[in-house]
Amino acid sequence: MISFIGRSVIQKIITLFFVSIVSFLIIHIAPGKPSQVDPMNPKFTPEVVERFQKEFHLDKPLHVQYFYFYKDLFTGETISWKDNQSVINKIWERFLNSLPLFIVGTIITWTLSFPIGIRSAIFRGQFYDRSATFLSYLLISIPGFFFAYVLIIFVVNQFHVPVIGMETFGIGEGASLPHIFMDRIWHLLLPSMLGATGGIAVLSRYVRSQMLEVEGQDYIRTARAKGLPPEQVHYKHALRNALLPFVTMFGLILPGLIGGSVIIESIFSWPGMGRMAYEAILARDYPVILTVNFVSAVLVLAGTFISDLLYLIVDPRIRL
Amino acid sequence: MANNNTLISVQDLKVYFRSSHECARAVDGVSFEVRKEETVCLVGESGCGKTVSALSILGLIPIPPGEIAGGRILFQGKNLLELDEEDMQKIRGNRIAMVFQEPLTSLNPVFTIEDQIGEAVRIHKNIGAGELRDCCIKLLKDVGIPSPVQRLKDYPHQLSGGQRQRVMIAMALACDPDLIIADEPTTALDVTVQAQILQLLKSIQKTRSMSVLYITHDLGVVANIADRVYVMYSGIVTEQGNTAQIFYDARHPYTQGLLASLPSRSKRGKRLYSIPGTVPNPAYKPEGCPFHPRCPHAISTCSREHPEMCDYSKAHLARCPVLFESANGYK
Ligand SMILES: Nc1ncnc2c1ncn2[C@@H]1O[C@H](COP(=O)(O)OP(=O)(O)O)[C@@H](O)[C@H]1O
Ligand code: SF4
Ligand SMILES: [Mg+2]
Repeated sequence: MISFIGRSVIQKIITLFFVSIVSFLIIHIAPGKPSQVDPMNPKFTPEVVERFQKEFHLDKPLHVQYFYFYKDLFTGETISWKDNQSVINKIWERFLNSLPLFIVGTIITWTLSFPIGIRSAIFRGQFYDRSATFLSYLLISIPGFFFAYVLIIFVVNQFHVPVIGMETFGIGEGASLPHIFMDRIWHLLLPSMLGATGGIAVLSRYVRSQMLEVEGQDYIRTARAKGLPPEQVHYKHALRNALLPFVTMFGLILPGLIGGSVIIESIFSWPGMGRMAYEAILARDYPVILTVNFVSAVLVLAGTFISDLLYLIVDPRIRL
Repeated sequence: MANNNTLISVQDLKVYFRSSHECARAVDGVSFEVRKEETVCLVGESGCGKTVSALSILGLIPIPPGEIAGGRILFQGKNLLELDEEDMQKIRGNRIAMVFQEPLTSLNPVFTIEDQIGEAVRIHKNIGAGELRDCCIKLLKDVGIPSPVQRLKDYPHQLSGGQRQRVMIAMALACDPDLIIADEPTTALDVTVQAQILQLLKSIQKTRSMSVLYITHDLGVVANIADRVYVMYSGIVTEQGNTAQIFYDARHPYTQGLLASLPSRSKRGKRLYSIPGTVPNPAYKPEGCPFHPRCPHAISTCSREHPEMCDYSKAHLARCPVLFESANGYK
């Protein structure tokens, strides 16, 4: 066990090292240079560009730049080229904004997908299953942004609540605490639901097919042959096995923390991580891009590590 | 037919599997009975409907695509085919238990041996936790698993194939059933282990005075264990009799073919006989006698008329009028 953890951590650190090199190279190979951001900008005099290059070591060879960049990253001194702010602080602030969206979205997705998928499998071919299948294909095929606009129009017209942004503009003054709270909830609900719909459609299908596969196994027949009632056959013998692959997925949702959804955050003017990364790319703000990239890589690796550990705990066949 | 010694009597059972374009008549009018404290064998090539017959007894045929198209299964005076799901649950594992062919896939990989055996006991008996554990240990001891206390916390993958099948048998014994159905319990095992499992089933049958319905495609095993034998072919019973009648006085060409293909000392070195052709697809069975495309004695009527059972003696019947007439010398 200990040696498994040790080996795994070392492997992941090596992977991370390569990821850092590759992402650094890719961003420098990509066309365009930060020192040329806007040659038409009158503030961008040759002197400014030169000072800029010096300050960020852009005149040094690539491997030295790499070294400087990751030194700054690990000491937390990286600053954005766009607004000279600390990148770590920027990311942290955006992360806190994205977090509620992510948590509520994930909770909605997982709490709905599993019951839907399991029931579909148990009642396969019957009315419930057919309706669920139809609905999920419908949700998969409607583009998210279109669905978002329909929902926004519906909610705004029907309930007369503003839903754009994280809270109603200027609500801070004079509103009672419950009012502010409800306002926040309303703003949170719609984007997280939208973020969840696609996930529910896909995940519930996946749960259904897992469950169906397990229901056809010999040990399910054995369970019935013992005289167990159907509930115990489905929810004890089948479900335990059908859930195993989702343990892996559970670790992999961690990186979703940082990606967020650019589309949903843009539609709802939500100041989250996804939008920040997107804007940083447009502005060729390398420190922000590389830091976000590095943090996501860490999260992906941490996620797989957690899945491996969970698998070890839940599947008795895996022993070290 | 059914006297008070009969434990279970399957009468004219028909089980079909329908799909959109065809109907497989997997079991097409099978009758057999098992008496108290008796071991009965159901023999036949694979695909002839043995497993489907066995699963029908426990109501484990998946419906759809399956369908019980007719017949009765009388067990202790009740027709099992008419019981509702809840009453059936009280019979499964309690009065009738089953041991399956694949001991690896038939045990749930994520539960311990104790969980799975204990569950079989608890579901039918009101029993405390400590007592349950003792009960599991005793069952494991009864099926010859060494150091049973240590095995309780094991998972199926930690046991050998033979031990897994012993665990399956322990599970079947959990509630001291009247009938154990063993569906090719040794087919997936090594030859030496096969003999041990067979021996175990034999001794259990004796010590617990249970009835056993033993299903196999291997006539060699039959001689070793059976009191009476039913030979099945393509969803019907083609010959039935006690073990001696089947082995020394076979009256159906199919039984004769199966016997001829058994390896024996006198045939050593020679090529083994095998019946030409294959079992018909249950969705497209030949007209008349289903065996006629492979039968060395077939005459023209065989491909038209469904053969009736012919009585050679009270207990010995064979479904071949052609041989019956030539044996009895009249037309
Ligand atoms: N679940 C099922 N769906 C469709 N057909 C089935 C199913 N189970 C069995 N059958 C059909 O029943 C026939 C007999 O099967 P089975 O009883 O398993 O034979 P065996 O004598 O080898 O045990 C098979 O040829 C197969 O076509
Ligand atoms: S009835 Fe005809 S085909 Fe069938 S076993 Fe007898 S001789 Fe052969
Ligand atoms: Mg079979």
